[in-house]
Amino acid sequence: MRPALVIVALIVLAALLVPPLLPFDHVAIDWDSVRVGMFTDGHLLGTDDLGRDRLARLLVGTRVTLSVALAAALVALVIGVAWGAIAGWVGGRTDELMMRIVDGLYALPFMFVVILLMVVFGRSILLVFLGIGFVEWLTMARVVRGQVIALKQRPFILAAEAAGSPARATLLRHILPNVAGVAVAYLMLTVPHVVMIESFLSFLGLGVQEPLTSLGILVNEGAEEMDMNPAALLLPGGVLVLVIACLTIAGERFRDRLADAAR
Amino acid sequence: MSEGYVVRNLGVRVGDRTIVEDISFSLAPGQIVALAGASGAGKSMSAMTPFGLSAGVASGSAMLDGIELVGMPERDLSRIRAEKVGFVFQQPLTALTPHRTVGQHLQEAAMQAGGVKPDKAAMVAMLESVGLSRPEERLAQYPHLLSGGERQRVLIAAALAHGPRYLVADEPVSALDAALRGEIMALLVRLCRERGMAMLLVSHDLAGIEHHADRLLLLEAGKVAEAGPARQIATVPTTDYGRRLMAATPRLSEPLHQLPDTGETLLEAEAIHVHFPKPGWRRGRIDAVVDASLSVAEGETLALVGGSGSGKSTLGRAIAGLGPTAAGAVRWQGTVIPPRNRRNAEHRRLIQPVFQDPLASLDPRWSVADIILEPVKWLVPHEYRAERAADLLEEVGLPRDFAGRKPASLSGGQAQRVAIARALAANPAMLLLDEATSALDPLVADGVVALFDRLQRARGLSLLFITHDLALARRTAHRIAVMEAGRIVECASREELFANPQAEATRRLIAASG
Repeated sequence: MRPALVIVALIVLAALLVPPLLPFDHVAIDWDSVRVGMFTDGHLLGTDDLGRDRLARLLVGTRVTLSVALAAALVALVIGVAWGAIAGWVGGRTDELMMRIVDGLYALPFMFVVILLMVVFGRSILLVFLGIGFVEWLTMARVVRGQVIALKQRPFILAAEAAGSPARATLLRHILPNVAGVAVAYLMLTVPHVVMIESFLSFLGLGVQEPLTSLGILVNEGAEEMDMNPAALLLPGGVLVLVIACLTIAGERFRDRLADAAR
Repeated sequence: MSEGYVVRNLGVRVGDRTIVEDISFSLAPGQIVALAGASGAGKSMSAMTPFGLSAGVASGSAMLDGIELVGMPERDLSRIRAEKVGFVFQQPLTALTPHRTVGQHLQEAAMQAGGVKPDKAAMVAMLESVGLSRPEERLAQYPHLLSGGERQRVLIAAALAHGPRYLVADEPVSALDAALRGEIMALLVRLCRERGMAMLLVSHDLAGIEHHADRLLLLEAGKVAEAGPARQIATVPTTDYGRRLMAATPRLSEPLHQLPDTGETLLEAEAIHVHFPKPGWRRGRIDAVVDASLSVAEGETLALVGGSGSGKSTLGRAIAGLGPTAAGAVRWQGTVIPPRNRRNAEHRRLIQPVFQDPLASLDPRWSVADIILEPVKWLVPHEYRAERAADLLEEVGLPRDFAGRKPASLSGGQAQRVAIARALAANPAMLLLDEATSALDPLVADGVVALFDRLQRARGLSLLFITHDLALARRTAHRIAVMEAGRIVECASREELFANPQAEATRRLIAASG
């Protein structure tokens, strides 16, 4: 868990702190050095077809991808925990109904929905992020509901009832704190998944809009010139793989550690 | 080749920790030797490790029919196990593979040492020998169709299918109902005697094994505290540990101690009915409690005794307002108190529960002080004081500085005392004790029972004592109500119940506990 988190932290710090220090930003066009190689005229990774600094674009793209992922995962966390906790806590018909809604939403072809949204409302980063949050909370709701149902049967919940604790207080002070660990572990696994979805949408040209960029767009652009300049594909692709792998490893370790602690 | 199983200076280590040290005993053909002691004493480890069935590493010597088991490679050990030894484990619910029939289990067990595939008649005979009814039908059944006792019989049949000379039984009856324990234990003993098989029996239940075992080893913290003929240790233990362990084990034959005096009737439950819908989409309902009436006086202990599924916990929860009630009334000093959802703080304050599993009944994220003060906060807010938690800890026999601890750092007995402190926090008039001592070690359980007695005398508490253990009920309760299939079949003072049992269920329970 430790090395994986260190790598993610380094990438995040670089994406946040380095761009302001660079002599070029990610949209500025350097007319004197269009499509130059690495270490030329102060461009560490060279420039693209339009003369934009590749390093600045890579770092900004990483930043966009990660912030979309984090925001979507947080949306998923909030909706999923609330939905799952209510369904599991109330139980009975309410639970049945709420979980059938989740099943119904699961059945919708996600890509189709996102493309439809793009066509109807036009491309925007907000839509990307809503579209992703829209599917990611479903699994979170299922995970949380299962946890809540398991917790609800523990004697300490019955003891809280005997202690006169109102249902709302029991939910907030006994159930949610005990669900938190699992929800955070699942959040850590949701982020890399959202990174993947965002990059995929951007790769298809449905994600964020130029001149803003993301890892998916950079991979797409890199793929077009991979025979001439493999680094243009390998660098954003490498960052993408590194982020996804490290977050997944850290999330799974965290989940396993929680499971051990529960035993 | 010398026959028998001879263990000399056996030690078991798990990682760096020494679990068992310097244990020696011998098991002659046809003999029954029991390893007893509190949990964590190393009983199972001593029994299982030489056969390669634990996480531990054995040292010393364990000779089975002249063959040294300690240090033997796993491949050879597994052959020895298959040829000579049968095993019966504690959990009949999980020890059978759910998707295989009883017949398939028996076939696999019989063929493990290269035996021939048993025909149907042979398998029927196996099931008959363990006293299973309708054996032909059973062969095609899956484990989930069998009750706990039936599963344990199937497991015994499977353990014996390859005709072993030795049987290792690790707590073979602890997971079963009180009424079944005696039966299954008697079955194991009978099978051993009939077949001249030797049995190594692991159990924490001294009362259950003293009549069956030939020799008894009492283990304490991985060492032998006392060893000798079982009957002798059970009647006149020579060590302090042996005496304490024996005194902590309730028996029907022990003399009755004086119980505190009782006052006027406090609680009356009249014609309580509870039913649950059948699980899943099935129609119909399960009648968990049918027409149950009882009363408890001030300072009195009423024991609710019955097998699992008899409805005793459901009735207790209905009375305490912690479970559903379909019909019937609960009166407190003549005034009706409403069912679950309409109880107010004053109603809830009167009856406070203590549950079976001490650790599961404490929120793992809360500190001991917060746990104890939870009822104070909601039920008697005007009494809220920070030192109250420490005072209550002292009252239940725990150090005051436990208040800052988390449940994970408590032992089972300590956790149960914290749960009792929580129950006392709201100054209740009555405690609902739902198998409050049955998950604890004999010595720890005895301490908790003594605590209940002390609290009852000091606070004039009434106790509704739910238990499966008739001997424990006889030791602690003024009156005993026996439940079967949701009904109270008999309710009498403890003297009367044993002198003149009326109901068939009572007679069966007494016979099983004797």
